[in-house]
Amino acid sequence: MKNIVELIKRFYVFLFYLVLQGIALAMLFNNTNYHKAEFIRTSTDWVGGIYSKRANFAQYIKLNDINDELALEIAELRNERPESFEVQRFGIDSLIDSTLNQRYYYRQAKVVNATANKEKNYVTLDRGWEGGIQPDMGVIANGGIVGVVRSVSQHYSIVMPVLHADFKASVKLKKSGYYGSLIWGGGNPGVADLIDIPVTAPVAVGDSIVTTGFSTYYPAGIMVGLVEEVQQANTDTYLLKVRLSVDFRKLSYVMVIQDIRKNELDSLNAQMEQMDAATGNR
Amino acid sequence: MLQQVIANTVRIIFLVLIQALVVGKIHLFDGLILPYVYIFALLMLPFQTPAWLVLIISFFTGWLMDYFTGPVGLHVSACVFLGLVIPLVNTFLSPREGYDTSQRPTVQRMGITWYVTYASICTFLHHTFLFFLEVLRFSDFFYQLVHIILSSIATVMLMVIGQYIIYNTKSSDQ
Repeated sequence: MKNIVELIKRFYVFLFYLVLQGIALAMLFNNTNYHKAEFIRTSTDWVGGIYSKRANFAQYIKLNDINDELALEIAELRNERPESFEVQRFGIDSLIDSTLNQRYYYRQAKVVNATANKEKNYVTLDRGWEGGIQPDMGVIANGGIVGVVRSVSQHYSIVMPVLHADFKASVKLKKSGYYGSLIWGGGNPGVADLIDIPVTAPVAVGDSIVTTGFSTYYPAGIMVGLVEEVQQANTDTYLLKVRLSVDFRKLSYVMVIQDIRKNELDSLNAQMEQMDAATGNR
Repeated sequence: MLQQVIANTVRIIFLVLIQALVVGKIHLFDGLILPYVYIFALLMLPFQTPAWLVLIISFFTGWLMDYFTGPVGLHVSACVFLGLVIPLVNTFLSPREGYDTSQRPTVQRMGITWYVTYASICTFLHHTFLFFLEVLRFSDFFYQLVHIILSSIATVMLMVIGQYIIYNTKSSDQ
């Protein structure tokens, strides 16, 4: 009799376990689509507050490193400045006024939290919509590309970095101009994969990989990394292992890029798609 | 009773913060070793805690952890699983005369051999569940297995060392 009572008890506990586990898995798989992850918006402000206190403390300890990085950042920014301007020359008499032709606007932000040891990593910045950050802006750090802003609250924003299973960017070989897609297969946080490079392209270990500028996230020619290993993916394409130039375990300051012509480009693309659709229907 | 509730709540919050702000930042060997010490709060629950209550406490501990580390549900799911496992392991490892109801699973009370067995089984099961749920595939199986085993060893070591530091043998009713 006692055993039977014990068995029923066990059974109810297990049933209760199944209910809780069901709730947990439902929460997990509803949030997997990151754009719908509303919880981040509500939790970013208070969790972000705790993380920024921690980051303040950690940064005090590594001030020396940060100063070095900042000096490098300033030097690099000076070199990059002309590239933020894109002057279109139509003829000798066309207007060349660089202030009207700024294409990219940079905003600096401090990293308050970052992970590099998971399958889907995120970087939290201490700047939100109040500081001019909007979703879909590109993010770079002194060495190269970091990722794309995904979610923004008042004071914080969350970046999907290269180290995320869903990340994809269009990049090219600096020397030959062949382009492909940069993805991250998990595991080592220092190495990403470059796919879709045709076998006819000349590739050598140590070649530089840079952004193409096809998207509105990053300007063309931002450093991504160096080719570390050349593998053949199939008969037509290579799989290149790329040593990323940004160390995601040491991120402290980043630049968020705004493409001022983003709306113009997007609406032009949308117009083109509409026209294509109209022609298709006829 | 009330004192126990407060002590356990404080312990859970403290360990989740330690996990999020200190231990979670450890990247040994490119992230191969990744200890999750916050489960110590669940392993410290008294023996007489009913199984359903262990499940509820695990659920909320996991939820709190998830607020700090990413997709909500991941740690909830792993913790609920751990909450199912803890009472079973306790029954499995119980001495012939049963547990003293006022006892709690600590190294000082139960001895180092018993504790390491108990903590290792629980930690290994929790880490296995967590890491495989996180990647959701069985490729890189051996890498994952090494990842799980090394991380579990690190977690158990931190928990045992932590107990020697925090609870000295004299204050045995901690």
